[in-house]
Amino acid sequence: MSERFFISETDLRGLTADLLDGGTEVIAPVATDICQSPSAVAATACTLDGSKVEIDYRQLTSADDLDLSRGLPQLSLKEFFLPEHEPLCRWRQKGTTVQVFEVPTEFAPRVVLAAKPCDAAALAVVDKVMNWDYEDELWNGRRAATTVINLACQVIDDSCFCTAVGAAPDDVKGADGLLTPVEGGYVYEPATDKGRALVEDFAARFSADVPADTIGGQADDERAAARARVADNLEIDADSVRDWIEANFEDPLLTHLAMRCNGCGACTGVCPTCHCFDIVDEQEGVGHGTRRRLWDTCQAPTFTLHASGHNPRDTQHVRYRQRINHKFSIYPLRFGEVLCTGCGRCTRVCHAGQDLVEILEAIDIAARRPRDAEPAEAAS
Amino acid sequence: MTGPAIAPAYAGVDELRRVARELLESGEVRVIIGWEDARRGARPVFITDPAEADKLIFDTRCVHNLVTYLDPRRDHVSELGRIGLVVKGCDAKAVAGLLRESQLSRDHVVLIGMRCGGVLEEGELPEPLALTPENVAPRCYGCDNREPTLTDHLLGEPQPEPPRPVMTIDERVAALDDLPLEERWAFWTEQFSKCVRCYACRQVCPLCICERCIVEKTQPLWIESAAHPRGNFSWNLTRAIHLAGRCVDCGECERFCPVGIPLSLLNRKLQQIVHDRYGYTASDDPENAAPIGDYRLDDQQEFIK
Repeated sequence: MSERFFISETDLRGLTADLLDGGTEVIAPVATDICQSPSAVAATACTLDGSKVEIDYRQLTSADDLDLSRGLPQLSLKEFFLPEHEPLCRWRQKGTTVQVFEVPTEFAPRVVLAAKPCDAAALAVVDKVMNWDYEDELWNGRRAATTVINLACQVIDDSCFCTAVGAAPDDVKGADGLLTPVEGGYVYEPATDKGRALVEDFAARFSADVPADTIGGQADDERAAARARVADNLEIDADSVRDWIEANFEDPLLTHLAMRCNGCGACTGVCPTCHCFDIVDEQEGVGHGTRRRLWDTCQAPTFTLHASGHNPRDTQHVRYRQRINHKFSIYPLRFGEVLCTGCGRCTRVCHAGQDLVEILEAIDIAARRPRDAEPAEAAS
Repeated sequence: MTGPAIAPAYAGVDELRRVARELLESGEVRVIIGWEDARRGARPVFITDPAEADKLIFDTRCVHNLVTYLDPRRDHVSELGRIGLVVKGCDAKAVAGLLRESQLSRDHVVLIGMRCGGVLEEGELPEPLALTPENVAPRCYGCDNREPTLTDHLLGEPQPEPPRPVMTIDERVAALDDLPLEERWAFWTEQFSKCVRCYACRQVCPLCICERCIVEKTQPLWIESAAHPRGNFSWNLTRAIHLAGRCVDCGECERFCPVGIPLSLLNRKLQQIVHDRYGYTASDDPENAAPIGDYRLDDQQEFIK
């Protein structure tokens, strides 16, 4: 049983303020009322009820901005570890001399508060590929500098399926601690040394006195209920799915997955685990520029376009199959983890109606179906 | 409008299913592309089996412009064979756009036009809703093509005009135009800063037809592909200008944008300019040449110094 502490609502805000005052960067969900921004001018919604809220993970400027309502941020935490774009180096060329300026790979400490468990779990999953044949210094540097504290999730809607892919709404995978709301505050459970350090450094904000049968019980009940709710959305046998995809690459179920898909790649942008990037050289004047990496998407034809003009993934069907294959078969076979944490963003963001819950259900059914077409061995 | 909205499935759904079934049975088409009711609401469906024609729906949730599937970039759709496509009037304008620019052979598609009284802003609802000023897609207001003419079958019954939205697109454009330059700049800076460069706007557009988009040309790098302000302004303005005088205002770019950039404001502004300068409005008549592909001796050219 892990250690449990109690932190009141006031102390959690106080802790946030302490961190900010001490110069620690704090990243947390922030609700932005777009009707208070320049965008209000042209937003229909603002003429209706005068308020339209968008939730995003942001670097906090004030503890008051911390939003603990537990809505799902539009984008995952990915951008704080693998930014949409970041310089890898800068260069300056004079004649035949080229100077290369490295970028720093060490980062100041920072804390993520109230992370969604699915978003934190994605960090641990992506750690594997970022430390496979090459150790990604920028990713690892940011990971090492960051303490991630989850807030137990109540499940967003029927597109959530974290429990089907080995995560949970009260998971601490990829995180250093977990907050669970109870009467008057939160139960805090550190999961790593970084998570424990938070209690040690700000001991006055935490109380070790957690009545197990009341506050602890309430936290446990809520968390169990959330797990049951999400399990209702989707249950699959992820191992069978992995093996079936590998063995049935040419099955029509997989080769015709993407009829309605527009290949826009919005799913990969909002995905907490999609990590593929492109590298471009931006010329910024005569003789100098920046080499930058940016998010890429396997849903674009140029992702696999060869210099010869040949494209091994030349239709949307095979590009979409690649996304499914990579997440649910290739990655688990290589790294032992599904490259998906069930956040459901890809389904919610797809206005063409590609639905990962439905697709996984179909593959799971195919994987469980006895192969009646094959002669049973030693049947006679 | 008050009280619970009554689900208005538009008239003509039975006819639609019958026509679709007959087209498939006779072999006149190999696939029908229309809308179906799914777990999360209305969505595009591809029907090849006549027995499945009953899946088709047509109601206020049918917001998608299915003409995007006729776009020459969709190899995986065109290889199915001749297509039967269900279109609203706005969608038919996009078909005309493809024909006008020789991107589609008229023989390749059978158009099933539906008489339309407007659609919702979003189609992801369990039931269709009656249109109200709060929920109607703003582009439907003042629609001049609720009964498409570019069709092979025209189904349904004449529909009343959709309600006036709380704020029309023209009013929103005017509100922006009225701002001082710095505030307008702040508005678009805020909007474009959200862009993650997924290119959903381009992918879903039925008239973004380039096999290789300029943003994918990296030697030289014409438009920076990084999502920094320089790159985002270049991309979003280039996309809009490439659609000037071609855009049919289906609103799909804005609807698909995962970060909610109001692209229809840019598109509408360009439509207004094209209309003022060239007297052109996109229609579903393919013979009505668009300014971008039509040189006239009396074209205004005072901007050439």
